[in-house]
Amino acid sequence: MTKEEVKGANEAEQQAQSKKALKKQQKEAEKAAKKAEKQAKLAAEQQSTEEDDFAKDRYGVSPMVQSQQKLDRVLVRIQELTPKKADQLIWVRARIHTSRAKGKQCFLVLRQQQFNVQALVAVGDCASKQMVKFAANITKESIVDVEAMVRTVDQKIESCSQQDVELHVERIFVISQAEPRLPLQLEDAVRPEGEGDEQDGRATVNQDTKLDNRVIDLRTTTSQAIFRLQSGVCQLFRDTLTNKGFVEIQTPKIISAASEGGANVFTVSYFKTSAYLAQSPQLYKQMCICADFDKVFCVGPVFRAEDSNTHRHLTEFVGLDIEMAFNYHYHEVIDSITDTMVQIFKGLRDRFQTEIQTVNKQFPSEPFKFLEPTLRLEYKEGVAMLRAAGVEMGDEDDLSTPNEKLLGRLVKEKYDTDFYVLDKYPLSVRPFYTMPDPNNPKYSNSYDMFMRGEEILSGAQRIHDAQLLTERAQHHNIDLEKIKSYIDSFRYGAPPHAGGGIGLERVTMLYLGLHNVRQTSMFPRDPKRLTP
Amino acid sequence: MPMYQVKPTSGSDIKIDLPTCMYKLPNIHAQGGSYNEHALQNGEVDPALQALEARQDEILRRLYELKAAVDGLAKTVTTPDADLDATTLSQGSTASVFTGTTDLDSLLGKDLGALRDIVINANPTRPPLSLLVLHGLLCQKYRVLSSVHVHSSVSSVPPQLLSCLGPRHADSYARHHFQLGFTLIWKDVPHVQMKFSTQKMCPIEGEASVARFLFRLLAAEPRDAAAATQVDGWIDTAVFQMAEGSAKERAAVLRALNSALGRGSWLVGQELSLADIVCASSVLQTGSASSAPPNVQRWLKCCENLGYFSCISPLLP
Repeated sequence: MTKEEVKGANEAEQQAQSKKALKKQQKEAEKAAKKAEKQAKLAAEQQSTEEDDFAKDRYGVSPMVQSQQKLDRVLVRIQELTPKKADQLIWVRARIHTSRAKGKQCFLVLRQQQFNVQALVAVGDCASKQMVKFAANITKESIVDVEAMVRTVDQKIESCSQQDVELHVERIFVISQAEPRLPLQLEDAVRPEGEGDEQDGRATVNQDTKLDNRVIDLRTTTSQAIFRLQSGVCQLFRDTLTNKGFVEIQTPKIISAASEGGANVFTVSYFKTSAYLAQSPQLYKQMCICADFDKVFCVGPVFRAEDSNTHRHLTEFVGLDIEMAFNYHYHEVIDSITDTMVQIFKGLRDRFQTEIQTVNKQFPSEPFKFLEPTLRLEYKEGVAMLRAAGVEMGDEDDLSTPNEKLLGRLVKEKYDTDFYVLDKYPLSVRPFYTMPDPNNPKYSNSYDMFMRGEEILSGAQRIHDAQLLTERAQHHNIDLEKIKSYIDSFRYGAPPHAGGGIGLERVTMLYLGLHNVRQTSMFPRDPKRLTP
Repeated sequence: MPMYQVKPTSGSDIKIDLPTCMYKLPNIHAQGGSYNEHALQNGEVDPALQALEARQDEILRRLYELKAAVDGLAKTVTTPDADLDATTLSQGSTASVFTGTTDLDSLLGKDLGALRDIVINANPTRPPLSLLVLHGLLCQKYRVLSSVHVHSSVSSVPPQLLSCLGPRHADSYARHHFQLGFTLIWKDVPHVQMKFSTQKMCPIEGEASVARFLFRLLAAEPRDAAAATQVDGWIDTAVFQMAEGSAKERAAVLRALNSALGRGSWLVGQELSLADIVCASSVLQTGSASSAPPNVQRWLKCCENLGYFSCISPLLP
């Protein structure tokens, strides 16, 4: 094809096109005109309505709070909204939990932590049509300030924690707006397992999504309750031990040598050399005992480089550790620890009943049962019970996880307790620093404590004699050079002592009967998760 | 002769045709005197003497019975009221009361290395007093590891209920030193419940049934079926009509006890039995001891004097 030919063809095409284009343009112009007309109409309407909007000072988006002014306005907590406050005009700051517009009215559910209340914006004396529309369009999870009249209701509002009152909104201002698209819906995140089947189309949120968006997940009533209860565990642990005359100590987390043998430690670079993250504060607790602190405890992070992706392992968790010098028998220490646990359980039972109920709604479980004083069985008896149930195991075999669970069930069946101590473990399954039993060299003065059939504490009377410690370490083929500082700390006189440590997350999980320790760790760390 | 005479109804000279198929015997009436002499000659005892001997035996037997009854009474009568320590004496008398030998292996099955632990769940509002009495008896017979626990379903328990099994055993740190475990758990249960082997045995419900189980461990069950039935009858009366019954039923039980105790010093047989333990416990528990009829009062006194009931006195209303 020559150039001209091409040109001619193009022209012809262009002509044809221009005809089409003309038509198109015409149409578009018509469309635009219509649109403009519409818009003008709308604008006019809006103008007219805006002029009509008598309530425009009663709603809006507040300027960002930069501490411009210090108002004396009293904000009422949602949990305090009871029929006692009926017919009072109050201010509330809360999140929009849900909103539902229905003609001339809009129902909002306002939430504050685990409490929520129904609020109603209805066209009337103080609310205009525009105000209702504004309220309906506020995105979920936004924080609002609301002035409202408290009214009692005839029929209980089943979906809210404040069932006897509702708020009739007179003013509403947005303090902080949430993005319209939430990564997960709160209602989905608290839906009980199994209820959100694919058949009924209701969604549940899987664990990873929850953990990726922890900040929203933590707003759910379940999470709120879990972490309030966890704080209670810590508080009760501290209070009980302080009352018993224990001293709280802080131990270093960056250490030069692995405290328990050497496996499962994280290595970190430490200037020109390397260091380890503490696996347990054991050495330091024992050093405090040797330094005459008599009874010590500490609450702090513990690191385990175990590459196990189970429901109960974390690489970083909060350890509640106890170490105590005793007079004659290490059972004095068991009694102290078990009594502390019982006080924690009693405190939780008596002071955190609402939280327990809240968690139970999403994750139903039997209430935690325990005995006071705590049941103590001996390892031999445990083995005998397992054998009677048909398990084949040797006298000195360690308990496997399924056997632990089975033993927990057997003990529960007979004694109806979810918490017990198993005493006198075989020496061969315990670490080298465990004191051997005085009467039978095959056994040791060591104990484990179990909650709902899962081990939560492992402890023992420690060898406080450098000579015996050296022998035991050699028996276990441990390099004496590596544990020299540990052995040396017993050379200058050490009182007999025993202790143990529990994991806060595990205790919370097992007390509530949850199935994953990640639910009770605020920002869990496991082999696959380092964020958030 | 003060008696009237009757004419013979037939003449003595009647001839009877005797059949020939039968053998003949000499007329014993006609030759009475000679027959006796003949027997004596053969070295046999005169029946009169025999009768005399039988009467003597009977008297001796009744004397022995009386002696046994007096011995039984003496046990209670000679127990001091105030001066002597009742517990030391009771140990002496227990030895004589519950002498049956027992082998726990045969009663409870073979020992697998675990402590044979009897777990009893009881409601602190109604402490099972009879079981506490039986616990005391078990302790005298075996090395028993006793422990009291409070279950989380109960918020608080009065201190006397925590110490109702006596002070902690000095060796309680070594569980394998004991033959038997007695674990009392105060728990929110409608009825007393006992668990022993969760695999081989279903839980035993009710104070009466548990009491029977524990009493069997003492091997003091009456051998005789009639007595055993009587004991069972009294136990059920005590549990269903005394402890759980109305005021009317209680009064009836007290009357029945009173009349039974009028016939002997104990409810069944000549010695303290499970019937006495359970009945006395329920009378004491219902607080009807002070208003009880005289025989019941006397019997309660005897029970207390034996010392078995001292462990429950701090728990009485």
